[in-house]
Formats: sequence, C-alpha cells, structure tokens
Amino acid sequence: MAVSDKRMTLKEAVSKFINDGDTVYYGGFQIHVPMALTHEIIRQKKKNLHIINASTDVGGLDLLVAAGCVSEMHLAWAMNWYVKAPYAIRRAFQSGELQRFDLSNFGATSALIAGFLGIPFIPVRGNIGTDILKYNQHDAKVIDDPFTGAKITVVRAWRADVAIIHAQRVDTLGNVVTWGTRGVTDEFGTMGTKRGVIVTAEEVVEPELVRSDPDRTLVPYFKTLAVVHCPWGAHPSACRGYYGLDIRFCQYQGKYERNKDLLPHFMNEWIYGCEDHAAYINKYIQKFGQEGLDRLKPVLGFKPKMDIDYGYHDPGVWKGVPQYTDEHIKA
Amino acid sequence: MSANYKLTELMVVRCAKEIADGEVVFAGVGLPLVVVGFAMVTHAPNMILFTEGGSIRATAPPGLAITVDDPALFANGDATFGMLATMAALQRGEVDVAFIGGAQIDKYGNINSTGVGDWSKPDSFTYFAGSGGANDMATSGKRVLAIMPQDPKKFVEKVDYLTTPGYLDGPGSREKLGMIGGGPSCVVSTMGVYRFDENKEMMLVEYFPGQSVEKVKANCSFDLKVAPDVKETVPPTEDELVILRNIDPTGFYLG
Repeated sequence: MAVSDKRMTLKEAVSKFINDGDTVYYGGFQIHVPMALTHEIIRQKKKNLHIINASTDVGGLDLLVAAGCVSEMHLAWAMNWYVKAPYAIRRAFQSGELQRFDLSNFGATSALIAGFLGIPFIPVRGNIGTDILKYNQHDAKVIDDPFTGAKITVVRAWRADVAIIHAQRVDTLGNVVTWGTRGVTDEFGTMGTKRGVIVTAEEVVEPELVRSDPDRTLVPYFKTLAVVHCPWGAHPSACRGYYGLDIRFCQYQGKYERNKDLLPHFMNEWIYGCEDHAAYINKYIQKFGQEGLDRLKPVLGFKPKMDIDYGYHDPGVWKGVPQYTDEHIKA
Repeated sequence: MSANYKLTELMVVRCAKEIADGEVVFAGVGLPLVVVGFAMVTHAPNMILFTEGGSIRATAPPGLAITVDDPALFANGDATFGMLATMAALQRGEVDVAFIGGAQIDKYGNINSTGVGDWSKPDSFTYFAGSGGANDMATSGKRVLAIMPQDPKKFVEKVDYLTTPGYLDGPGSREKLGMIGGGPSCVVSTMGVYRFDENKEMMLVEYFPGQSVEKVKANCSFDLKVAPDVKETVPPTEDELVILRNIDPTGFYLG
C-alpha cells in the first residue's frame, strides 16, 4: 500500500502482475474495454486465465480466447456486437478448451459486489427458474430466505487476483479517474481484487489534480499495482470524451474472428507484429489513414455548467465561542 | 396513402406504442434503444430511460445510442451510475417496462439468448452471447416487452436454453419462485404482435401489412393461438418515419 510512483510500460505491467492461472477481472463493457492490455496478454502468451466480468463487447475476450489464454469465463454476455457473435468463444466452448459459467448481468454484478464487500455470497433476484442455474451451480444456487422462507438465488463472491481496466486519466500514484461512466462494474471488479489493479489511461496526471476533484476517483491508489500511459488503449471500444466506438474496425476484426483459418493473419498483423500499443495505432494509421482515427473524435461541448468548490469548514472557529443557551436550558 | 417503410421501421414504430408516457423503461441493446429514443420524442416525453450501463435519463439522448453504455446516453443525462443503480431499481420493483430481444422464444414467452443445441454436450452447442441483463429485466420488470425476428427456428415449442423467464411452465410458475415482475405482456416480431392469454400462452393479436394469420402460423413452430379480434397492424405515418430516420440516420439498426 506504499505511496509510490507506479508508472511502467505495458510490457512490464503484464509480465510483473499477471501470472498464468490468475483470475482476472476484465474491465469496461461496451466502452473502456482494456484492449491494449488484452493485446499485451496475448503477446506474452499468458495461459489458463479465468476471466470474471458482467458483460463485454468489441471482441476483446474473443481474441484472448482465440489466442489460448483463457480456460474459464464467468460472465453474463460476451460477443463482438458489430458482427453479432462470439466466434472464437463459440469454437473454444465446442472443443472443450473453454469452460463457461454463465450468470445474468446482475447475477455477475452481485457476485462482484460480494467480492467488493468481502462477504462469501449475496442474494440476487433473477437467474432462478432458468437454465442459468441448472448449468452453473458453481456460481449460483437457490436457498430459502432464512427470514421469510421464500426461495431466493444466491451467488458466490467473485474476487479476481488482478483487474485490468482502461480509464481516461490516472495519476502517477494510481488514483484512477473516470467521468461520464463508472465503467459499469469496474468499481466493484477492481476494489474486490486480491492483489490489485493494472490501469491503462489516456493521460497520466499529477496527484494534486486528482485530489482537487476526488469525486471522480474510481479506484484509489492503494488498490493500483501499475499505471500505464496508453493513448487509444481502449480502441476499438470507446473512451469517454476521447474517442468513440470504431464500428468499422470492430466489423473488420469480426470478419477475422469468424474464420479460424483467417484469424492468425489478424493476430500476426495487429498483435504479435506490434511491439506495443503505439505500434498498433501506427499500423492503423498506415492501413486506414489518419482520417480513420479522426472519424472517432467525440462530439464535444458537454462541459459541466455547475461551478463547484470543494471547500470544507474549519472547526477552529468554535475556539472561545461560549455554549449557546436560552431560558429553557439549566446552566 | 400508405408510406414507404422498411420492416424494421414498422416494428420500431409499432413497438413504441406499447410504451405509455411517464413509464420507467429499462431498455436492452439493439432495437429497444431505437424504440425508446422514438417514444421519447413522440408520444412519451415523460418516459424515463434506464440501461444496464447505468444511464438514467428523462430526455432523449443527443444521438443514436448504439450500446447500453454508449457515451450518448450519458451526455446531458440525469445520472451517471453503473450497473448497480439501474439493476437495483429493477429489484426494488420500480421498472414498468423491461424491454428485451432474444434468439428463441416459446409459447410461454420464455426466451433463449444463450445459444442453440444441447449445452450439456458442448460440441453441439452454438453460443450466442448469454443473458446479459435480459434475465434480470424479465424477472423483475413489472411487464416485459420483447422484440425479435420471426421464423420457425425462433418461435419454438421449447427453447434450447432457457435464459430469460417468461411464464415458465404456465400459470403460477413465476409466483412459486418469488419473481416480483409480472412477466411478458407483448411480443413484436417481424410478422406481427402477440399478447398472452389467461393460460399465459402467446396469442397473435395483429399481423403486419402484407402478412396473414396463415403466414404467421407457418412461421411459428408451436400451435399458435389467434385472438378472435385479430387485425392488421396500422403502418407508420410519413411523419413518424421522418422522426424515426432522424434517430438512426445511417440505418445502423434500421437497416
């Protein structure tokens, strides 16, 4: 929990903090998907990871599964929405390389909240009466409410060894800052980790800036293991206020995901063939032009109109002030 | 004179009419996001939109929301929460309409969005995506509105994997399990509109222009009940189409 400068490269962060066999919380949902970290995990050929998450889009997990990094997925929804399928996940499930443990979105979120709270399980409405419960007794069971006797689903707490997330900003100490999104379930998936959080961010700032506006802190420094400055680190998913979803690239990637014989070409060109995420973005510009990136610029002009001041009150003003009293109060 | 429209446009406009002004609508990804956007700028200006991504807003988003945590949903929204806050409202029973899609549906309105085949024999199972929030929404929303394409492989006697509860095995099943939501109330397909009868079975109440009861039945694998007063759906007006196309100008969802 030492207060220290946690900046390092993507390569260092993954090699130092992700071990084969780890349970990994996979951040974001349809925005802030940790794609640069996904690519680096693939480059480093991590094995037998167990992924926990509520839902994830843009095919990041599909690539991770295709690369043989994942043996278990505990989640509610995973696909590349822009081709409407999770092709590699589907193939790996069929071949037996991948085990899936499905819950509903709030089943998964509740499991992460139980991990966040440090409790063993938590009740949740939903999942009951369906095949989710039939096929995932590992994570969910129906019990009798000890107070009313009614049936209720309970889900096991999910605690990752390490979380990987992308955010707009982080300070050098690891205070993670988001706005315009809470990362959907990132606040629970990160804080519930046993070891901590690897964060990539569009910008790395000084701690004084974060401390001047602490309402936006998603993860406080003491849970953060590594801070990686990584512009475009969520591409092709969106990063709020920095860039939008790259639908055309998701569709392009999806065409490779669909065909297992084609997919190695994508992996070689965009992942193994790129030394780091900057090289991936350079490849993008080379192949689809600067205009491809320019199209992702967000519509701006949504700055807060409330001017606020986090001023506090100094109790020193009470020094020497006599007790308030009146005629009803006996001295 | 009838307007020139696409099938998805007809579906969206018809589906929007199921939403009453002032209702709290929890919308899933895909066409539901277009439907609620349309409802909010037409007959339901006081509707409140909830999504799994944590958006809560009483005004239509400034642009098309492609996803449930789309930045457009949070631009000038009323609150930026995560999954916790909107799902918690569902569990408290505060959501009027749970609005979902799916891959297969049976006569009791049970929905499959997980995959087809036999899950216990993985090599036979073709995964789609999984529940996402559909299960939570259909368990606890006061009523469920579903939108999905119609063909005999999708309107089936028994779903391959029951992801999302409709009326399960029929009357009383939901209550026995303590579900707080009322279950499916309306399904809009690419061929017509369905409600549920007193036995909690799906019943055709409208067929789309160009369709007929016979054609719909031919695209349904269970023995479909038909309402005695079944009628043709009123097509969208020119004005409605102009508003709708303005919501999804590139046809991302409307085609």
